[in-house]
Amino acid sequence: MRSAWAVLLISAMASGTSLAADPPSNNVGSPGDSWRSIARLPDWSGVWELDWRSSFTGAALVDKKLPQLTPRYAASFAKYQAAQTRGEEEQTEQANCVPPGMPGIMTQPYPIEFLFTPGKVTIAIEAYSQMRRVFTDGRTHPADPDPTFAGHSVGHWEGDTLVVDTVGVLPGTSLAPGIQHSSQLRIEERIRRISDDTLQIHTTFRDPEALAEPWQVVRTYVRHRDWDIKEYVCTQNNRDSADSQGRAGINIER
Amino acid sequence: MTHRICRRGFLGLLGVAVLASEPAVLAHHSTAMFDMKKTVKVQGTVESFEWTNPHTWIWLNVPNGSNATSRWGIEGMSPNYLSRTGWTHGTLKAGDKITVDVHPLRDGRTGGFCVSVTLPDGKVLRNLPEAPSP
Repeated sequence: MRSAWAVLLISAMASGTSLAADPPSNNVGSPGDSWRSIARLPDWSGVWELDWRSSFTGAALVDKKLPQLTPRYAASFAKYQAAQTRGEEEQTEQANCVPPGMPGIMTQPYPIEFLFTPGKVTIAIEAYSQMRRVFTDGRTHPADPDPTFAGHSVGHWEGDTLVVDTVGVLPGTSLAPGIQHSSQLRIEERIRRISDDTLQIHTTFRDPEALAEPWQVVRTYVRHRDWDIKEYVCTQNNRDSADSQGRAGINIER
Repeated sequence: MTHRICRRGFLGLLGVAVLASEPAVLAHHSTAMFDMKKTVKVQGTVESFEWTNPHTWIWLNVPNGSNATSRWGIEGMSPNYLSRTGWTHGTLKAGDKITVDVHPLRDGRTGGFCVSVTLPDGKVLRNLPEAPSP
């Protein structure tokens, strides 16, 4: 019953009780724009854990296609690989408790949770205690979004599929280890349940500066109805480190 | 992004394919500093057990053969992960005599990553998850 509060929240939404009064004119609004219409959204309650098998050794690649990098980004990736042979780039700033940002934050070995409120889907992410806000109220992206770890996300429902469009992702987050992106990165996620307890996220990356063509991955997540998102304060007792060349360190002094 | 168990081996074998679609085992750092192919048994007395993020730590006083002890610092999986496999903050206590299977540090210091803990009654508590099959 750990996820009872989430279930309660959603059932309260579903019953249309007095959490908030719906404006009278929203009978024909878009899905999820009012407490009442949230009742018609699919049941994504509980928390979702990445299915490792769906993420392993190429399994996530659509048509087995690796990212096709533009010459400049391919050169940068080759440099990264060469650095690894020198014992550099062993680990990332995550070892110093800097969160990976998008898209890496969606593939951590910790669960995520979807919260529906009118006009917004919030994704609570256990790793690094991160949060993504997907605005489904019809707004557009800012003309010149501030770069952030999570980027700026807007979404809409196509039936039971939540389609999320993200821009404004901080350069410095990576698409995959050693694979960088530009400020032109645009991420489309199509999120839907493919069985009672399986969620699928089909992600397409577009970046005219870094990618010669769109790159797609599909991953699945398994539902845990009896888990809750737990606290994760990375700086509580971090004894690991990465130096400026990405070399790994560990402190075992007391 | 995250890192893999036996990262070096995977990289050698699979190169860019793995980079493009890595499995996530440890959330926040690589295993580069540990010898993941080697497991040593370390027997001693728990000085303290830290139930903290991003990693738990077992501080273990291990007799070193000359009437003295060496302190081992043994990093483990996070409380978030371990609590979902049955561990609690009270699983180990100061004074407990335990044996720990450890992937040791490559640099020879007395530390490593916890694979499993064997309690005095012989009960084995797995810490590091088995690598998933591809």
